[in-house]
Amino acid sequence: MKKIIRLTINNQSHEIAVEPNLTLADMLRYQLALTGTKKGCDTGDCGACTVIMDGNAVNSCLVLAVQANGSVIETIEGLTTAEGLAPLQEAFVEKGAIQCGFCSPGMILSAKNLLDKNPNPSEQEIREGISGNLCRCTGYQKIFEAIESQSS
Amino acid sequence: MLLPTFEFHEPLSIKDALKLKKSLGEDAKLLAGGTDLLVHLKKKLITTNNLISLSGIKALSLITKEKNAVIIGSCTTMTQLSSTPIIQKNFPALKAGCDNLGTHLIRNRATIGGNACNASPAGDTLPALLIYDALALLETSDKKREIPMADFFTGPGKSCIQPDEILTGFRLPIPGKNSGAHYIQLGKRKSSEINLVNVAAFLKYDPDTKKIIDARIALGSVAATPIRSPKAESTLMGQTPEEACFFAAGEMARREDCHPIDDFRGSARYRQAMVGVLTKRTLTRAYELARSACI
Ligand SMILES: Cc1cc2nc3c(=O)[nH]c(=O)nc-3n(C[C@H](O)[C@H](O)[C@H](O)COP(=O)(O)OP(=O)(O)OC[C@H]3O[C@@H](n4cnc5c(N)ncnc54)[C@H](O)[C@@H]3O)c2cc1C
Ligand code: FES
Ligand code: FES
Repeated sequence: MKKIIRLTINNQSHEIAVEPNLTLADMLRYQLALTGTKKGCDTGDCGACTVIMDGNAVNSCLVLAVQANGSVIETIEGLTTAEGLAPLQEAFVEKGAIQCGFCSPGMILSAKNLLDKNPNPSEQEIREGISGNLCRCTGYQKIFEAIESQSS
Repeated sequence: MLLPTFEFHEPLSIKDALKLKKSLGEDAKLLAGGTDLLVHLKKKLITTNNLISLSGIKALSLITKEKNAVIIGSCTTMTQLSSTPIIQKNFPALKAGCDNLGTHLIRNRATIGGNACNASPAGDTLPALLIYDALALLETSDKKREIPMADFFTGPGKSCIQPDEILTGFRLPIPGKNSGAHYIQLGKRKSSEINLVNVAAFLKYDPDTKKIIDARIALGSVAATPIRSPKAESTLMGQTPEEACFFAAGEMARREDCHPIDDFRGSARYRQAMVGVLTKRTLTRAYELARSACI
């Protein structure tokens, strides 16, 4: 039986009817068409589905939509403003940290969550902060440089 | 990957959760962080018609201090435990276990109760629960019981929890002065890796006689469950804490106390050798911490 959930996604409140077995990742992609959130493995290993939930980055493929009831969610779509890309997104473009782009939404949200909590992370902390996000293209170094350029 | 269809229940109190568990029977599964359960459901390793979410029960995600102990709610997450001062100060080996579990994305959801109930021999918080002499707090609708973690695990993926029971948390006695503990996990890579061997050690010494008066060692990934290492522990009692006796304890743990198997992650022989090395290293660090705490 469907359940009604209320949550805030990218500063907008939503009221949605969802099946209990729908994951947050699938709800974002298929019910709200927020397809910036990617799905790679669907089992918590790759980080492509990363979103920020109540201030913590999580694998949205391992959260049920019903578990997100009442929460505040940030997805990659929420970073862009009327002025364009967020500085962190610009840095990824600038430093060549994006190739195929499949990991980028998750990578950028993990980086954002890290910088929100720790504006001046060490090299080790940056590398650990993105260790839940796999990238098959860049070799991580350019991603590291993009994040480092945004630390204060 | 599709999840099977199920009914979702979200009780707001332990009492209501226990009532639901009783009425829905063995088929109903408890959902904490979901990092094991949802993966198992997706992979069709288990199935259920009813999920009972514990997330709505505030009491289960509290960390509270009693006179000589700390109570950790079963639904506290790795991130929460690792950033709580009372855990950092009194239980560094547990903090190390939490910091090493999965990735930061997993740690934001994964709970300590889920780690214990999943009962993997390689579970990252489990050696620490063993060396701190934690008690598992179990509850049914009509009785409560406390089980030493040393008796909690009954096999890979199996524990002594009964179908109508819920693990509400753990009681960890606060280690006294002149004690220290440490945890090391060995894997092929640093992040999101199932451990090859993981070891925790606790040491307490008498500052007057300079002898060891309490020693506890726990080994992960080298038997059907996480285990204590009783023979290695007994070699340490009454000894002067120094390299030779830590080495001897490591040798004893390697030879007598562990029963690893070969699998695709590593050979039994390699694991056994690493038990010796890691036991010595955790003891050395536990002693350093014990000493620095009393200066
Ligand atoms: C990508 C990935 C990496 C991982 N890496 C590691 C790692 O490095 N080290 C490690 O140890 N683990 C790891 N895990 C496994 C998992 O994250 C941990 O075991 C975690 O602690 C499980 O907690 P949970 O809250 O998510 O449990 P859940 O999945 O919610 O539950 C697990 C089991 O415990 C039962 N349960 C949960 N809470 C209770 C309760 N209060 N009372 C009774 N039964 C209960 C559930 O019914 C279920 O059977 C990893 C998992 C993933 C997906
Ligand atoms: S799709 Fe969620 S972690 Fe891979
Ligand atoms: S840019 Fe292709 S996976 Fe990272």
